[in-house]
Amino acid sequence: MALTRRQFLTLMGGSAGAAVLFQACGLPEQELLIDSPPAMPEDLVSGIDNWYATTNQQGGSSEGIVVRVMEGRAKKVEGNPNHPLNLGGHSALSEAALQGLYHPDRISAPQVRTGPRGSGEYREISWEDAIARLSLRLGELDSSNENNKAVFVSNPTGGHSGLVLEKFTDSLGSRHLSYEALETNVLRTALKAVFGTDSIPEFDIDNADLVLSFGADFLSSWVSPTRYARGYGEFRQGNEHRGRLIHVDSRFSMTAANADQWVHVNPGTEGLLAMSIMQVLSSSHSNAVFGDLDADGVLDSYSPANVANEVGVSVDTINQIAEDFSHSEHPIALGGGSAGAHTNGTQNLKAIYSLNHVASNLGKKGGVLLNPRSPIDGVGAAPPSNSFSEFHRLAEEMKAGNISVLMVKDADLYYGMTDTVDMKVALDSVPLIVSFGGMMDDTTSVADLILPQHHFLEDWGTDVPLAGPGYQMIGFQQPVVRPFFEHRGSNLGTKGFADILMATAQVMGKDLGLDGETFKEVIKNDAERLYELDRGGIVANSFEGFWNGVLQRGGWWDTSYKIDNVPEVNRLDGVASPEFGGLEQEFYIQPFISTLGDGSAASLPWLQAMPDAISTATWQTWVEINHKVAEKKGISEGDVLEIRPANGRTIKALAMPNPAVPPDTIGIPIGQGHRDGGRYSAGRGANILSVLDSKLDSENGSLAWAATRANVTTTGEWIRVPKFENTVPEFPRDEHQDIIQITSGDNH
Amino acid sequence: MVDSNKWGMVVDIDRCTGCQGCVVACQSENNIPINLEEHFNQRRAIQWIRIERYWEGEYPDVKARFIPIMCQHCGSAPCEPVCPVYATYHNNEGLNVQVYNRCIGTRFCANGCPYHVRFFNFWEPEWPESLKNQLNPDVTVRSRGIMEKCSFCVQRIQRSTRESERDNEVLEDGDRGLNPACVNACASNSLIFGNFNDPDSTVSKMKEDAMQEGGRGYRLMENLGTDTNVIYLRKVDEFVVEAPHG
Repeated sequence: MALTRRQFLTLMGGSAGAAVLFQACGLPEQELLIDSPPAMPEDLVSGIDNWYATTNQQGGSSEGIVVRVMEGRAKKVEGNPNHPLNLGGHSALSEAALQGLYHPDRISAPQVRTGPRGSGEYREISWEDAIARLSLRLGELDSSNENNKAVFVSNPTGGHSGLVLEKFTDSLGSRHLSYEALETNVLRTALKAVFGTDSIPEFDIDNADLVLSFGADFLSSWVSPTRYARGYGEFRQGNEHRGRLIHVDSRFSMTAANADQWVHVNPGTEGLLAMSIMQVLSSSHSNAVFGDLDADGVLDSYSPANVANEVGVSVDTINQIAEDFSHSEHPIALGGGSAGAHTNGTQNLKAIYSLNHVASNLGKKGGVLLNPRSPIDGVGAAPPSNSFSEFHRLAEEMKAGNISVLMVKDADLYYGMTDTVDMKVALDSVPLIVSFGGMMDDTTSVADLILPQHHFLEDWGTDVPLAGPGYQMIGFQQPVVRPFFEHRGSNLGTKGFADILMATAQVMGKDLGLDGETFKEVIKNDAERLYELDRGGIVANSFEGFWNGVLQRGGWWDTSYKIDNVPEVNRLDGVASPEFGGLEQEFYIQPFISTLGDGSAASLPWLQAMPDAISTATWQTWVEINHKVAEKKGISEGDVLEIRPANGRTIKALAMPNPAVPPDTIGIPIGQGHRDGGRYSAGRGANILSVLDSKLDSENGSLAWAATRANVTTTGEWIRVPKFENTVPEFPRDEHQDIIQITSGDNH
Repeated sequence: MVDSNKWGMVVDIDRCTGCQGCVVACQSENNIPINLEEHFNQRRAIQWIRIERYWEGEYPDVKARFIPIMCQHCGSAPCEPVCPVYATYHNNEGLNVQVYNRCIGTRFCANGCPYHVRFFNFWEPEWPESLKNQLNPDVTVRSRGIMEKCSFCVQRIQRSTRESERDNEVLEDGDRGLNPACVNACASNSLIFGNFNDPDSTVSKMKEDAMQEGGRGYRLMENLGTDTNVIYLRKVDEFVVEAPHG
């Protein structure tokens, strides 16, 4: 049958109409249900999964996690709902631990270098050989009384790993230094001075009605972000009244984005603002605390009129913040991050935390709760890290040939130190670098001998959190899977860090004085001491029952063991103005933590691909620059910019203009620019830490990592910024159908 | 216990911090291919749940707002009638379901979806051999040419339903085995999952409360009449700079 076009269309229209009619007649619903239920055939035969509790201490913050294990393989990480700090939530860093465990570039056996240093040429050796090589060299230093020429550099390590490490270095008479690229030293010094505490207190954000934060990106990266995010959720909608967040920062961070009010200040003037707020409160409100706090009358010179200009905030705003703070029932002040990363960093933080004395919120609901000591003597939170200045001195000693053996665990000196210190050259002067790295980080890639440690999901451990929950607790870490590279038969495999040290000490004939032959035994024996305390949340008739309870819950805690006495109020010191390198340079550099921590998480592809909260950029190093400044300079997204501080060193990164960047500032994420670290991080992006000026905190010699200024020039190159924004098309605009709807208050 | 289930979610954007914890949890649970740099550059990265960031104003009066967006599991889903092979259909538990082995990759559903939550596999997904150890055995790995999207972690619903039936237990509201991965990951509790057919479930109560006059509830692009199974709770802000824009 020949059809004309018109006939064809008529027919088609008719059949479509019939179909509609057919549906409208209303067949019984069951008959229309297509019988392909979501129970797929493969779902019907399912394996058994087990969930094991353990603790993640990567990146310096503690998180209780449970890991789903099927057929001996870890499949999924979730937050431990029992754990006092995160109560079930968890960070992307914990999730991505699985990729660390099964990373294709993990080191699977002890290695000794065969090619030139840094060439990546290694040969596998047995554990006996590896430990013999290390103990031989350490023994030589021991017998010639040169123990001081052996140095152990680790990340700040607490719990039982910290205990074994301390005993090991003590027995050798060698030095032990703790290293963090972004030090918590300044924070800890300030907290010690203001609250007399060695740990970081609990901030009861859940029950606060005003949080005044200075520079601390606490919802994203600062100290214990998962715990704070949990509190933030309650702070917003959990209580009768919605809390108010005022965030003072020189950069528009994720926390600033979530704040009700972002107060932009000039970099390093956060402490001046805190002093000014206190000055307003002391002059307008009668508060007995000022008698102790300001006995010397230092506040007088910080009136809003005096500091407004330097801080870059109006007198009215300072008065308004002071008013808000004094009118709140449960205000909290906290500070850190870039506020403590200036030449006046410690002074800034001391002034900021003193606001809590003004609010008299110590030990109170919605306030600051100090953490009690660890329940096990000798096993505490990680000690403070050594300052940048000490590492600078160490580099000088290395160059002078005074260091013969450098042992490194989870401390990437090669990557994290600014190039003005020449750590790379210094490392090259050390005859023997021994790394305990399970992955090729930059420092491990120049090591001579590698004794690869287990991944934390394969190892035992304990965790006394630096930022505890306000009561006594100790988290337990247990192997949730057998080691992926198991030391078994002809397989060389990896070993637990503490067990490596214990084996080395044994070969050297040193007695570490530990209660147990293996690391697990040491932990278990100390758990018996916990059991004997006969308190805490785990009730059991026998120690075995208690031990199982501790492992099942992921730790031990005693919610009734708190600190009740309020610390004395110490007198306020003045806050100096911040100093910067290269005043003639155009921009302040604001290095910030995005998704890769201090760079140690750069090997994990989920975190590389996780969009930055503000820019949605991934996989690269970008430069946040004000969109109007960029327009004026003819800079557009993806332009390759050269960042040049006064010290002459440069890096290149991609322009990423946005409307929230202060015009005199550029923000650059920390974490890329590794020489190694496996296929997902090597040679990618640039390392902002490497070009910073070595400006120091005036009180404790820490690196003032936000005190560098730089010029920015275009290079003429362009590279597309890998970002999530615009991956999906923009939603259609409809003024009555905003995607994000906002209400001025919860009317209901 | 109710006779039938209607799974749904409540998203409180006043609690959401934009941390992306849900995004990574989803990728881990659902065997989503690793989004490499080139995938972002080609605008073909896959995220079943994503955080959208909206700017308001500019320095110094500037705000950034975050909203998590995933498949809305529409009651009247625009993606369903356009599929020529019934690869996407509505099941009797309120889920918009994707049957991978039916999908022939026409991408009509992605065209139809107003929320842009459907993602197409332009490549065969690849993992280094060792990373395959992490893959979730409960979730099919989608091959090239297949459309995929948020399933409300249907495998968790299936497993927990099956296990509770086996053990003769009642599946409780808020059970962590039932919750999608994103909900369990969310530290600030901005995502709540549950059964809208159960009047006593948390989501039902929140929905009832939120959809009243003066409540904070709304549906994304409600004017389209898609009858979504995700209810959003409005952001609270005393000082709105201006209407948000993308």
